[in-house]
Amino acid sequence: MTNASTAPGVRIGDLTVVYKTQAGELPAVSGVSLELAPGSITGVVGESGSGKSTLALSLLNAVQSPGRISGGSVEIDGLGDVVGLRGESLRKARGRHIGYVFQAAQNSLNPLKTVGKQLLDLGRSHGVDDLRGLVREAKELLGRMGLDGARVLDSHQHELSGGMRQRVGIMLALVLNAHLVVLDEPTTALDMITQATILRIIREVHEERGLTTLVITHDIGVVAEVADRLAVMYGGRIVEQGPTGAVLGAPSHPYTKGLIKAIPRLVGSLDEARALPGRPPTLATVPTTGCVFRERCAERMDVCDSDDPPALAHGDRIVACHAVGTSEPAQLQEEVA
Amino acid sequence: MITGQAITKTFKQRGNVLDSREVRALRGVDFVIPKGGAASFIGESGCGKTTLGRIIAGLESHDTGEITIDGTAMSSLRPRDRQPYFRRIQLIHQDPYSALNPTRTIHQTLNAPLALRAKQTGRSRGWMDERAQEVLSLVGLDAGSVLGRYPHQLSGGMRQRVVIARALTVDPEMLVADEAVSMIDVSLRLGILALLKDLRERLGVSVLFITHDVATARYIGDDGELYVIYRGQVVERGPVDTIISGPVHPYTQSLLSAIPVLHGLEEPGAQPVVPTEALDESHHDEGCLFARRCPFRTGKCESEVPVLGLGEGIPQEHACFHPERRAVVAQPAGR
Ligand SMILES: Nc1ncnc2c1ncn2[C@@H]1O[C@H](COP(=O)(O)OP(=O)(O)O)[C@@H](O)[C@H]1O
Ligand SMILES: Nc1ncnc2c1ncn2[C@@H]1O[C@H](COP(=O)(O)OP(=O)(O)O)[C@@H](O)[C@H]1O
Ligand SMILES: [Mg+2]
Ligand SMILES: [Mg+2]
Repeated sequence: MTNASTAPGVRIGDLTVVYKTQAGELPAVSGVSLELAPGSITGVVGESGSGKSTLALSLLNAVQSPGRISGGSVEIDGLGDVVGLRGESLRKARGRHIGYVFQAAQNSLNPLKTVGKQLLDLGRSHGVDDLRGLVREAKELLGRMGLDGARVLDSHQHELSGGMRQRVGIMLALVLNAHLVVLDEPTTALDMITQATILRIIREVHEERGLTTLVITHDIGVVAEVADRLAVMYGGRIVEQGPTGAVLGAPSHPYTKGLIKAIPRLVGSLDEARALPGRPPTLATVPTTGCVFRERCAERMDVCDSDDPPALAHGDRIVACHAVGTSEPAQLQEEVA
Repeated sequence: MITGQAITKTFKQRGNVLDSREVRALRGVDFVIPKGGAASFIGESGCGKTTLGRIIAGLESHDTGEITIDGTAMSSLRPRDRQPYFRRIQLIHQDPYSALNPTRTIHQTLNAPLALRAKQTGRSRGWMDERAQEVLSLVGLDAGSVLGRYPHQLSGGMRQRVVIARALTVDPEMLVADEAVSMIDVSLRLGILALLKDLRERLGVSVLFITHDVATARYIGDDGELYVIYRGQVVERGPVDTIISGPVHPYTQSLLSAIPVLHGLEEPGAQPVVPTEALDESHHDEGCLFARRCPFRTGKCESEVPVLGLGEGIPQEHACFHPERRAVVAQPAGR
């Protein structure tokens, strides 16, 4: 946790975000509480539709219609509760305080304008007076990420590879000197070597600039590489969170266990790896009462059908599962024995 | 059995009149895929995997070299006489969303190729229905609940199973799966991989698996051959687990080193290899193609061309002047 003096802390409290559908307003994020410690990298991992991008957008109060934040708060040091921000103050906060790299950033640049032009547009829209300084800063950041800054600023999107575009996205998120950075699927669609390069850059820039960083991904490997803390999402809930190594090494929630077992691995027996039965829920199929994961759960009990498990602290973990706490002491004994 | 000898392919990418660039997508690739066997092509994006897969599936022409299917050289046939051969090689690509027509039910999707076959072989409607049920059950789907649905009503994993079921309607000899699980949710990925393995074992369908994620290549069968491809050339080749446990080419080592380590569960390999620079297609073509990026290059690498072959004490083929085993792969923690 370096440079904690500049890095803001973030406290997401009981956040609920709903989308209007034919079946009424349905929650994509339900009662999520998550704290991002100043200077930390937090990884949110979950399958498609689990609510990751919606959660990330809430940090900027940028959930678009037909969605809306229907409850809870997002407190950011230096900004207050962004759920209450509107208009100009909200627009200023984005970019200046919170840098955001959208999912599929590889394709989100304007194809008709050079990167440099887009940089100047960004500066102007945020009332930057010293545009030369902005360009200098951008070149330095690009150079820092192993690119020829001048060349990249003169390029159009189609002249850049996927990995280069991703780095341009990171530059644009950081160039206004934001200290809270949200990266949504920063390496999806990149190959392994490029992914490893981007992840190393994210870590280094995070340290050097003193950031608080949130990384959203469907890939546990990505979180394992960069994040200090890990939060696992399923059906709009955070079902487990804790220190990355601890969660991966000894997962508590049956979903986390299943997900880790389902990862194709380079070493070890092929038979140990197993797909999870069933399929991830969609807005329409997420159960409204009881545990969201019960239909795919190996440890399902009667109470899981009726009661939504609360997120409770268990040692270094926060877990939302009726079976955790009852089964944990047994595991501990096993380990001791 | 399907073999390829010295396959080459060059694309001319036209910018404007003055600036037309040539991309040597394949520079002489050999491969052998036995009946019912498995092979995997791995490598960075842009190294030619998809092009090779499409050539093998008959969807793309090649410049020189020979594809031989069950002993028949394709160059000896007129283009339309090749069709029956290539029809039995079915391509399954990355995106199960765009592969299925959104306006057609699964029943209609399966019926199209089945109707063609029924007509060719004089079979009845009853046979078509039976066969539709059969291919769905082969891919682990319940015909009763799936047939009447549209693609958007299915998850990504179920769609990919439907795509595979459709490929099975023609009794394929081989499935070419190009990044076929990379868009599938993690919890369901292994299910698709297990299905491909199962189809090999039960139906004797061979599988060509194309991926940038080496770990998934293990799951279509440990008897599979791995081809590591770099800039249109095979640089290392051998049984999957032999290469994963003892890669000797610095490029293979770079690919394996780049795989994320699951800290807490795994410890990183002791000798990770990181390329000295990023892939650049415009790199010159003299000597070893990887030399520019190789941390271990010597003068020889920059002037002479290493040829794929066996060397003393190394069980797999490699194209490197300085092959050396390195511990690059993460190991389970607490060993
Ligand atoms: N604009 C929208 N309208 C209706 N439903 C939406 C919209 N955006 C997202 N959703 C739904 O909300 C859920 C969460 O989506 P998202 O936050 O994108 O998940 P993730 O990023 O984890 O894939 C999904 O079921 C998705 O279909
Ligand atoms: N139709 C095409 N026209 C021009 N260039 C192409 C075409 N298809 C592929 N290429 C080029 O050939 C090379 C290999 O591409 P591809 O086979 O798609 O690689 P991979 O699947 O390994 O990512 C790349 O440089 C790519 O840009
Ligand atoms: Mg998303
Ligand atoms: Mg490809």
